[in-house]
Amino acid sequence: MFDNRISERRTMTNEIKIRAEGVDVYYGDNHAIKDVSVDISDKMVTAFIGPSGCGKSTFLRCINRMNDTVASARVDGTILLDGEDIYDKRVDPVQLRARVGMVFQKPNPFPKSIYDNVAYGPKIHGMAKNRAELDEIVEKALKRAALWGEVKDRLAAPGTGLSGGQQQRLCIARAVATEPEVLLMDEPCSALDPIATAQVEELIDELRQDYSVVIVTHSMQQAARVSQRTAFFHLGHLVEFDETDRIFTNPTDPRTESYISGRIG
Amino acid sequence: MTDFGATGSHPHELRRGRSLFDLDDRTRRRNRSEGAFRWLGIGAIALSMVFIVILLGTIVARGLPAFTQTTITIEVPLDAAVLDPNGTGDPEVIRSVLTFGYAPLIERGLAGTVAATGVETELTSSQLPQLLSPGVAATLRDMVAADPSLVGQTVQVEALASGRADGYLKGRVTRESLARDTNLSPAHLDVLDALVEQDLARRAFNWDFILGADASESRPEEAGIGVAMIGSFYMMLTVLLLALPIGVAASIYLEEFAPQNRLTDLIEVNISNLAAVPSIVFGILGLAAFIQFAHLPQSAPLVGGLVLTLMTLPTIIISTRAALKAVPPSIRDAALGVGASKMQSVFHHVLPLAMPGILTGLIIGLAQALGETAPLLLIGMVGFIASNPPDGFIDGFVSPNSAMPAQIYEWAKRADPAYYERAWGGIIVLLLFLLVMNVLAVLLRRRFERRW
Repeated sequence: MFDNRISERRTMTNEIKIRAEGVDVYYGDNHAIKDVSVDISDKMVTAFIGPSGCGKSTFLRCINRMNDTVASARVDGTILLDGEDIYDKRVDPVQLRARVGMVFQKPNPFPKSIYDNVAYGPKIHGMAKNRAELDEIVEKALKRAALWGEVKDRLAAPGTGLSGGQQQRLCIARAVATEPEVLLMDEPCSALDPIATAQVEELIDELRQDYSVVIVTHSMQQAARVSQRTAFFHLGHLVEFDETDRIFTNPTDPRTESYISGRIG
Repeated sequence: MTDFGATGSHPHELRRGRSLFDLDDRTRRRNRSEGAFRWLGIGAIALSMVFIVILLGTIVARGLPAFTQTTITIEVPLDAAVLDPNGTGDPEVIRSVLTFGYAPLIERGLAGTVAATGVETELTSSQLPQLLSPGVAATLRDMVAADPSLVGQTVQVEALASGRADGYLKGRVTRESLARDTNLSPAHLDVLDALVEQDLARRAFNWDFILGADASESRPEEAGIGVAMIGSFYMMLTVLLLALPIGVAASIYLEEFAPQNRLTDLIEVNISNLAAVPSIVFGILGLAAFIQFAHLPQSAPLVGGLVLTLMTLPTIIISTRAALKAVPPSIRDAALGVGASKMQSVFHHVLPLAMPGILTGLIIGLAQALGETAPLLLIGMVGFIASNPPDGFIDGFVSPNSAMPAQIYEWAKRADPAYYERAWGGIIVLLLFLLVMNVLAVLLRRRFERRW
């Protein structure tokens, strides 16, 4: 099985963006992630699926070191971003997070204007020299998030006044405004209705052109729709990681098969 | 209670086949206890309302007279023979005349004014000045010292009536109560009645009570709360300048940065405990630390402010932490997610959202400090007669002063009923300040409140 995967990956033209090797995560005494190794390619959508509590969100939060904010969390193993260990002592997580953006499960715009929401990241990273440049960045980010048309006339309106789907796209715009290389999405559609979900999914597919996207989802249909590769997590283990089509049509591991056919999870 | 009591047969059997319109015993019992509880609640609220009305009514009824003061208009001849016996016209000589020298002039002036009303009185002209405040002579002396050319003229003076004469017009002093009083006789009251009739004695709004300084025990009519108010102002300023930054910084560190360990827990428990420590303990700590050890001046608003800062800090820290805790963690995640540092996420996002709660806590802390008396007892701010306003802004921090609640306590201790009235008046001023601060807290809350 291992050889098989290697040969398959060689057929892909995309470079490896993130390489995780033997990652273990502990929350106090709780061993949440057990020896996970995974390669995430550039310009591709990778989906993490699995039942609740399987560790997929935890693993996602390791990739931009958001777990650092949890006092009891401990991460072992290495995660390389472009070949550099992100858990190296010399790495400032703040700088890392500018390169690895994140979109959260619940839309969480700042209680500020739509403009300020998007402009916040570029501002703190000093990406714009003047107001005109900032305006340009904001417009570009909102266009990429497919939100520009809906909000261009009310950029000063509060971001919290938008609908749920718009708020989530605003959060995506906020994340892409800092020009990250990787976009992590933690169940971005779980709080949205089907129409908003479809819009966000379409957007994710477009974002693939520029970013390496990693999405955690509860919905297997969503993983099948948006991702090229899928990783199945179960009880902290990475059970199977392969081309999305293969995972859903011809899984190798019996646990994966049970999960996608609805017998567990 | 009765809710779970067994009823014998199975409830389903009881319910089946009964009309919905007819209540079973159990339902009726439940409704009865619910009704009783509701009436208990209404009764409790009504009782507290009654107490509040009684409290406010008493305060207003007893305190309002302090806001008016009787003055008697007299014509005083500033006799050159008394004030400038050698006819030098030298301002230095005129200024050297003691207040004692003005007493006969006032006596003459009052006698003349009384004679002009045409009222018959058995009082000699030396007994009449008991109608006036002993402070009038000093007022007159200040007037002449400021303008020595007045000597030789007859000036019209709005002289403060004495505390008892004032009390008569306010209904506090009656002819019966004077029977046990050697200061004033019913004959004085006859004269006073005549003066009132001719509009020479009248009550007007008493700005001196609000703006003036405290006076000695025998001159309640001159006492005001103004200087104590300045003392309170300086203390509040000290508390604000120290407790706000220290309290907010401590809360932010504890809430956002501190590692969760035993030491942090210990600090948290101790802060909560400090909030419940009696204020007099902070007073004796201030005495030992600030006055005996650091040799700061006694009775200084700076020391009072420091003591009140210690007392207010736990309140501010507790409310600030609660306000920070109430900011949803998703906001912190969002900020960190776009690459903000911990400090940026706190200062750009969390703190602005916690602002209404922090400000409310701060103002409640300040209001509590404003009304605090006990710790001031120990650092010499009670019993001090704050007779002069401070000389300058900086001097206000260190020159001995009192504070509003300390002044009120001091007045309440004094024997003269006129001071008792002023104590109630002082309470009204204090309550007005607290009311203003609470309204401010509500307004700031509204102004800064945002939804997320």
